[in-house]
Parts: sequence; C-alpha cells; structure tokens
Amino acid sequence: MDLNFTDEELAFRAEVKQWVAENLPADLSHKVHNALRLTRDDMQRWARILGSKGWLGYGWPKQFGGPGWNAVQKHLFEEECAMAGAPRIVPFGPVMVAPVIMAFGSPEQQQRFLPGIASGDVWWSQGYSEPGSGSDLASVKTRAERAGNKYIVNGQKTWTTLGQYGEWIFCLVRTSTEGKPQTGISFLLIDMKSPGVTVRPIILLDGEHEVNEVFFDNVEVPAENLIGEENKGWTYAKHLLAHERTNIADVNRAKRELERLKRIARAEGVYDDLRFRDQIALLEVDIVALEMLVLRVLSAEKSGKNSLDVAGLLKIRGSEIQQRYTELMMQAAGPYSLPFVHEAMEAGWQGDFVGAAHCAPLAGTFFNYRKTTIYGGSNEVQRNIVSQTVLGS
Amino acid sequence: MDFDFTDDQNSLRDAVARWVEKGFGFERRHALAKAGGATRAVYAELAELGLTGLAIAEAHGGLGFGAVEAMVVMEELGRGLVNAPYLHGALVAPSLLSFAPAELQAAWLPKMASGEALVVLAHQERAARYRLDQVTTRATEANGAWTVTGAKSLVPAGDEADAFLVPAHTAQGIRIFLVERAACQVRGYPTQDGARAAEVAFDNAPAQLVAENGLVELEGAIDVGIAAVCAEAVGLMERMTALTVEYMNTRKQFGVTLSTFQALRHRIADVKMQLELGRAMSYYATLKLGEPAEQRRRALSQAKVQIGQSVRYVGQQCTQLHGGIGVTDEYVSSHYFKRLTMVEMQFGDTLHHLGEVSARMQDSAGVFA
Repeated sequence: MDLNFTDEELAFRAEVKQWVAENLPADLSHKVHNALRLTRDDMQRWARILGSKGWLGYGWPKQFGGPGWNAVQKHLFEEECAMAGAPRIVPFGPVMVAPVIMAFGSPEQQQRFLPGIASGDVWWSQGYSEPGSGSDLASVKTRAERAGNKYIVNGQKTWTTLGQYGEWIFCLVRTSTEGKPQTGISFLLIDMKSPGVTVRPIILLDGEHEVNEVFFDNVEVPAENLIGEENKGWTYAKHLLAHERTNIADVNRAKRELERLKRIARAEGVYDDLRFRDQIALLEVDIVALEMLVLRVLSAEKSGKNSLDVAGLLKIRGSEIQQRYTELMMQAAGPYSLPFVHEAMEAGWQGDFVGAAHCAPLAGTFFNYRKTTIYGGSNEVQRNIVSQTVLGS
Repeated sequence: MDFDFTDDQNSLRDAVARWVEKGFGFERRHALAKAGGATRAVYAELAELGLTGLAIAEAHGGLGFGAVEAMVVMEELGRGLVNAPYLHGALVAPSLLSFAPAELQAAWLPKMASGEALVVLAHQERAARYRLDQVTTRATEANGAWTVTGAKSLVPAGDEADAFLVPAHTAQGIRIFLVERAACQVRGYPTQDGARAAEVAFDNAPAQLVAENGLVELEGAIDVGIAAVCAEAVGLMERMTALTVEYMNTRKQFGVTLSTFQALRHRIADVKMQLELGRAMSYYATLKLGEPAEQRRRALSQAKVQIGQSVRYVGQQCTQLHGGIGVTDEYVSSHYFKRLTMVEMQFGDTLHHLGEVSARMQDSAGVFA
C-alpha cells in the first residue's frame, strides 16, 4: 500500500501541467474559474488545441492515434486540466462515441469518423433520451426502417446537450419490436445536416440554452452508418454508458470548485463564520473521501488484482457533491444570489449588477446543477444498480 | 499509488480471521460481556499469535510491523467484534513508549510485546471532553524522582492494565509519564460495547518520564488510535452489512423477502456507500500517519469525520433494516451496533473533528494537499 504516485507518474503530471500552462488561453481559464458563459467557439478552440497535441482523445489507445495512457495517467491529465481552469472536454465525440466506433465500428467507419473527432473539428451530439424514456433507456421509440441501402428514421430525441452545435449525432433507434425492448435497438450515426432533422432549444430553469429536442422526419441515413450489427445497439450503448459513469465522479473539478467556494465565502464575509465554515469543512471531507474512492478504483484498474464495482457509487456521490458546492456558493452570496441578470454571465460585461460580480452566476449554476442527480441514469436508478450488486439479486 | 495488500499482509489477515472463527464466536463474546467485560484472557490469546508485538521493534521482541499491518489486524478484530484492549495496548501505548528513555523501553516493551504486560493510555479528564491540552493532573520532581497527582477517567481496560501512560502538567508543560497500576486507586466498570474502563486516581504516585514533548507526542498517539478505530469500524461495518444483506434475503414480510422492497434496497445501497467511503478514509488515515504533524492531524480529523458519519449511518440503518430482532440482546447485530456507536465517540467525535478540519482548512484540499 502506498498513497503516493510513482516518480514516473509525477513526471507525467509535471509534463501535462507545463503543457497546459503554456497552451491554455487565459481568456478561457478566466471564464472557467469564474463560471462565465462559454461559447461554441470557446469550447472548440480548446478542443482543437488538445487535438493538435493528440490529447483530445486522451483515453484512446495508440492504435487509433491516442496517447495510450493508463487509468492513472488519464486521471492526472483530467486533474491538471481541471485545476488549470480548462473548459471541460465536450465528451460526446472523443469520450463517448469514439470508443464505440473503435470497439464495434468497421475499419472504414473508423477511418471516416475518428480523425475528425481526434482533431476537434467535428462536433458530435448524443441521441439517447426520448420524451418518454427518462432513465428507462431501453424504451427507445425512434424508428429506423430499412429501405434498400438506407434507413428511414422517424421520431424524436430530447435533452440533447449542446445539440444546437452538433454536426453529427449518434442515436439509439428501434429496428425491431420483437422480443425484449433491449433486443430491437440499433446504433446509428446521423449527419445532422440531413433533410428532415430539426433542432429546437429547451430553455432550462437558469434561462440558458444548453439542451435541445431533435426531431427526425423521414430522415434518410445510409446503411453504412450503422455501427456493428442491426439490433445489437443496446450492447454497444452499455459499453458507452460504462464510460459515462466513471467520468461522472468529476472529483478534480470538485477540488477546483471548492477553492472557488472558499474565495467567494471570504469575499462575502462568511469564511470566518464557524457555522458556515463547518459546512465547507464537511464538503471538504466529502471531496477527499470521493477522491480516495476514485484512487482506489484507479489502483484496482492498474494492478488488475481487485475489481472494484463502485461506478454507481461514484455517480451518486460525485453528483451530490456537485450540487452541494453550487448550493454553498449560492448561500455564501446569500441575498445577492437573488438578482437575475442574464448578461452578467458574459466575460467582460460592464453592466450594473447588484452585489459583487462573482455573485451573478451562482444561483443559475445551482439551479442548472439539479440535473446532475437526474442525468446519466438518475441517482435512484443508480441505487437500484448498487443494491443489485450488494444483495446479489 | 497502490492499494493492494502484499501476500504477507494477506496472510496476517487470514491468521487473525482464522483465530476469530475458531476461538472468538459470538457466544464467547456475549458471555464475556455479560460477565463484566474483562478480556485480559483474550488479550493473552492475541499475544500467542504474536499480535501484541506487532508495532514493537524487533530489538524489543516485537514484529516491527507498520501502520498498514496494524490496519489489517484492526479490520479483522472489528469484523470479529473482538472486545480486547488491543488498539490501546498493542498500538497506542507502544507508539508513545517509543519516545521513552532507552532503559524504560527495555523494561516495558518486551513485556508488552509478549502480552505479559498491558499498558494503556490514560489521558481523559472529566472536564476536557476531547481537548488534549486540557490537563489538570500534575507531575512534580523531587531528588530526581517524579510523582503524579490527579485523576483520569474512562481509562480503557483500566482495572486490567499493569501500567498507565499519563499526560500531566509540569513546570515545563505537559509531559507523559508511566505510572504502575499498583500505585493508583482504580475503580473499574463495564462499558456499553462489552469491554471495561476505569476511573484512575493518583496521589503522589511514583512515575517515570516517558516523553518531554508531551502534547505533541500525545497528539501523535491519538492519531494512531484514530487510524486504528477507523480500521476497526471498517471491519465492523462490513460484517454488519453482510448480516443485514443475509437477513434481507431470507426474512419474509407480506409473503416476499425484504430484499424485494425498493425502499429497503435503496437503504442498503446507501449503507454500501457509507461503508466504501469509510473504507477509503480508513486507508487514508493509515497512509497519512507518517506525514508531518500538521498534514497528519488534518488528515486524521478528516478521516474521523467520515468514519463518524459512516458508523452512525451503517449502525442505525442496519438496525432498522433488521426490524425488532435488531434491538434484542440475543442477536449479534445489536452488539455491532453498540460498538459502532461507541467508535464515533472514541478519540474525538464527528463534531469535534469537524471543528479541527475547519480550523486547519487551507485554500486547497484533496488527498495530496
């Protein structure tokens, strides 16, 4: 047992830290450190910088042009990016669909799609959720009917994060209604410029346009865009969901936001109020405990000796912590979280905000983050999964 | 970064587990507790396994093992609900005696390693609660000999111990002294968790100086104790969770097993969460024991805050999930619950350590901060 990283791991961390310090644009880290609004261009600029270094697909194996890092190296990369205030990598391309294309796509599909994902040039969206599906993903109703060498797609996806920027979307579609719901699902890649695709914004409770509805009206999709075999999409989707859950603990970002919470609490005069300070202390303990849990998972992956089936726990705890720090920031601002000025979240905004500038985004972020215990399989669904592991049935 | 145990550590774990399975069943434990909680005989059996010398240097007849081995043993003693003063006699006291002059070490450590002598820390005072610097017991020196006057409270296994390690005020501040039991007035009594404690009074009792930098060394010893109870708690929680899972999978209500009710399934998922967070922070506590004092103290307090929350949740919810049988004396889970509850109050409770985390807070936090 050893808590410390090896010399090689520390050297790796130092290399990443230095590269990020030299290549992360200051205007982007300023926005991230202050929770200001990021534009499409902001997110894609950082993606392309990472892409030019070969690090956008930081989880990719070498054979597909990735760096071939192990679990610990990936963690250290994520940590250095988070602490430096780098925008989050928009995961749909490099983190979510790429591993599916690598594992189940044809060589032609790999050559066609992976380079654009690795460079950050092509923006991908995720087409999983539907209006009726919620956490019950297998209930997918969007239909894809085979007609010669193409599929005709009809239906609707929803909660499509940043879908307004999407150029391609990977979708779960129903290709069969026979057997169990899981067995009739296929995994289809759809060009969002195709005739019949319509994207409509859903404005969330913070007033932001983050998610969308995507409608498919007799959209023609070449059959060559099917991943793997027809009706096997559920298997591929589960592969992808596994990727989604280990990232979802997001403990590195929590450490950065804890620092921000302390800065805000100081500025608002509650850092030395013991009753408030104890709440920060409790959150600090929660974050250290989550980080230790994450490190245990990494150690288990590295040695291959003990498998650690705690993905559900990481999702539950990580999301609860995200909600807690956004709530404490809002409470630190207290009454000054009340004003709602949409423009105040723009970098460089010089308007007249009541209260300190850092108060402007706090309530909005708190409201926005209620999503974290709902998406990616709600925390209640995660508890069902955890209980299955614990009870053995 | 590596959280795997070595083969030797796994063998050590197996040896303790085998002894528990063979020689420390619930019936024996129950009988010992009912008879007043005296467990020196159990301590002697642990000594036969070599465990009382675990943390004592080989030069003094011990095994010279480290903090991870101590954690492994404590986890297993917790899992087996073993009520012997192991952490006090074999982990906390040796850590303090390692600061003693050579002749005092030579006089006591070999006897402690063999289990012949039980030495425990007697630091608690009536008005101090969890504050280690609140010491009214006094030590004075005359003609090169020390005597101690005062009283200590809640001394673990106090009427079974051979000597006490006693923090006392001197003209040079707090120092630690060794006082033999024969020189004290001792009033023992059973405790909620099936063991014993004692009120110990000193009236010009002859004492030997153990450590000059008393408060600093006391803090270090308390941290050894915190890491040990964290590990014990992990074993306790693991076993209590397993008992509860077994119960949920067999007990029927309304014609179906308890495990079919989603409200109860979610509860056991939350129990699992607290167990795993607790285990993570128990590792953290043990692996931070060797850090410089400031980082060590902050880390150990963070760990105790997590463990305090974990034992409370796991103990109370597993009792609830058992229904009526969970609150009977005859069934084993209530005894796990009682020990888990007492763990929270040992070496500083959750609120106390939350205050410590709060007071020691830095701009950055995290496992490596």
